[in-house]
Amino acid sequence: MPQTDRAQSENPSREQILQRIRAGLRTPVKVEEPAATTSDRMIFEPIQNPLERFQQECIANLMECALTADSTASARHLADVLQSLPEGEIFVQDDPSLRRVVELAAPGRAIRWSSQGAPSEASQATVTLAEALIAQTGSILVTASCGGRGASVIAPCHIVYATIPQLVPDLATALGRASREQTLDHNSFACVISGSSRTADIEKILVQGAHGPRRLVVILQTER
Amino acid sequence: MSATAAQRFLQDAAVKSADLMHREVIRRGMDSYDAAHLKGRARIKDWEAARQRCQEIKREAINHLDRYLLQFEEKVAARGGHVFWAANSEEACAYVKNLATRLNVKTVVKSKSMVTEEIHLGTALEKAGIKVWETDFGEFIVQLREEGPYHIVTPAMHLLRGQIATLFQEKLGQKIESDDPAYLMAVARRVLREAFFSAEMGISGANFLVADAGVIAISTNEGNGRLCTSIPRIHVVVTGIEKVIPRLEDLAVLWPVLATSGTGQGITTYGTLIGGARQSGEADGPEEFHVVLVDNGRSQLLADPEQREVLHCIRCGACLNICPVFRHVGGHTYGTTYPGPIGSVLTPHLNGIKEFKHLSYASSLCGACTSVCPVKIDLHHHLLQNRRNATEAGATKASERLMFRAWRHAMLHPRIYALGGWSMRKALRIAYGLGLQGSILDPMRVWNRYRSPVPLPAESFRARWRRDRAAN
Repeated sequence: MPQTDRAQSENPSREQILQRIRAGLRTPVKVEEPAATTSDRMIFEPIQNPLERFQQECIANLMECALTADSTASARHLADVLQSLPEGEIFVQDDPSLRRVVELAAPGRAIRWSSQGAPSEASQATVTLAEALIAQTGSILVTASCGGRGASVIAPCHIVYATIPQLVPDLATALGRASREQTLDHNSFACVISGSSRTADIEKILVQGAHGPRRLVVILQTER
Repeated sequence: MSATAAQRFLQDAAVKSADLMHREVIRRGMDSYDAAHLKGRARIKDWEAARQRCQEIKREAINHLDRYLLQFEEKVAARGGHVFWAANSEEACAYVKNLATRLNVKTVVKSKSMVTEEIHLGTALEKAGIKVWETDFGEFIVQLREEGPYHIVTPAMHLLRGQIATLFQEKLGQKIESDDPAYLMAVARRVLREAFFSAEMGISGANFLVADAGVIAISTNEGNGRLCTSIPRIHVVVTGIEKVIPRLEDLAVLWPVLATSGTGQGITTYGTLIGGARQSGEADGPEEFHVVLVDNGRSQLLADPEQREVLHCIRCGACLNICPVFRHVGGHTYGTTYPGPIGSVLTPHLNGIKEFKHLSYASSLCGACTSVCPVKIDLHHHLLQNRRNATEAGATKASERLMFRAWRHAMLHPRIYALGGWSMRKALRIAYGLGLQGSILDPMRVWNRYRSPVPLPAESFRARWRRDRAAN
């Protein structure tokens, strides 16, 4: 195969390392077979009430979760959050549902849409959708489709607009689905986000808002 | 002549363990880790089952390492990414340096990666005239201090906020008005934001290489790892060949376990998965994606079935945190990239048993490290095996061999043993009588120097044994 030949000439160590690995593995390790392989149900408590768990975990993760009844209520909550922020451009994932909500919530505000490229450093907030919400860890799963990579990390405030059917019980479900749907072939990037950016590098003291957002807000709509 | 690694270790260990301020800082740091870690463990229903699962995942990966690495490579290459296999530090550094030169890179932003510390990538790039910014807050601090990370997870845990405020004042050329951690973080954020937006290349490590999905997984709390891999036009991943795991779903256990063992969190704030450069239609992301797979002695360790499982390590730092030796001598004393129990096991394999065999003795063999390891590496037994291997390889000194021969002889001849005990008690009685305890003339100087003198028994153990038996 020409590709292998090229790899060989540009990277002579490749074959040597593989040979060393194969030679090394010829002697097997002695392993006592475990009585039974562990199942997820043994390791983690099954999630009984995903919504309740998600809300609890959001509190633990120092993120905000607002339950809204419909898109009008969501727009109202979004307007409140945006008003609490300093003046300045906001970055929004270019999606029809977000266009509707953002136009209701922030008429006249300077907006950069994800279809126009990456967010600017000066943007005050980002509004995106999520691929899924994970109850077990109070996380949101975003991909490059949710406005790109910088959307969830450049601005000091990240607002996620999601609906209840997007809520999955645990990480295993979310990752299993991503695997089946080949999410990472369709997107160059995905991220499980569990709270605002933070550090405890000085004297183990928690500082909220390190290199990424200080605030992570989930607007969770009960109806589509 | 410069001191050997073993002599430096002994000197630094003596200084650090007598430095009460240092001990207080580390004690406070470790106390808060302990509390968080226990709380984190309570969130997992069956911690032992979780450890067992992680061990199984890593064992499967390591024992089919060629297959999973090739699967990972194929997926990455299919999307246009580049995978480079580096046999050693030189090859890895040369690849990144040549790439940077070819693509006209002036500035690099780095997220935390112990492998880049191991191969000294930062130094190699700086030598080529490239500015390198460490962007993890702790790494940024130790980079300004021109020292290596103190700990593999919290690189600046040996410093107090006041020291960091002074450091920033001196090195960043701006007025520092407070030593509040939030304020200091905000200062670093502003400085590093400029770096993120001017750098042409971002370098990250990888906590895991996911074979079936062909992606790298990075865990970060600060978000610097996200910025490094989002903004610059080139993304280079530098990581060890042992980081591969079979399936994306494996992260459902590995992520919570890594976070719990690393910091006590239920999950790290950002669990990022990246499979390549920006795809068409995506808003942003780098134009090029390179993965450098570093061997650097790992395949040799793989060939040792007794210690192969050392490659299961996920670099959580739990064994450092619990180790009574680490807690007293601190991270820098080890003089290695990887400190603590895992470093003491690994370093002789990576950097030579002759120079680093002393680390196998920097342990009381209490087994605390083994008890907390989330992938169940039998750390303290591997330290014992390293001691044996060093002796078998003839890496011991003639004086040491002579001493052990004398000891063996005494153990086999009770009269000689008794004579030895008697003369030691005599010598100590004289030394103590002259007030020489702890001095250079004290046979127990190693112990008595920093402690109240070892009490002198009135009689030998054998005499007491005889007396007690007679009394019964």
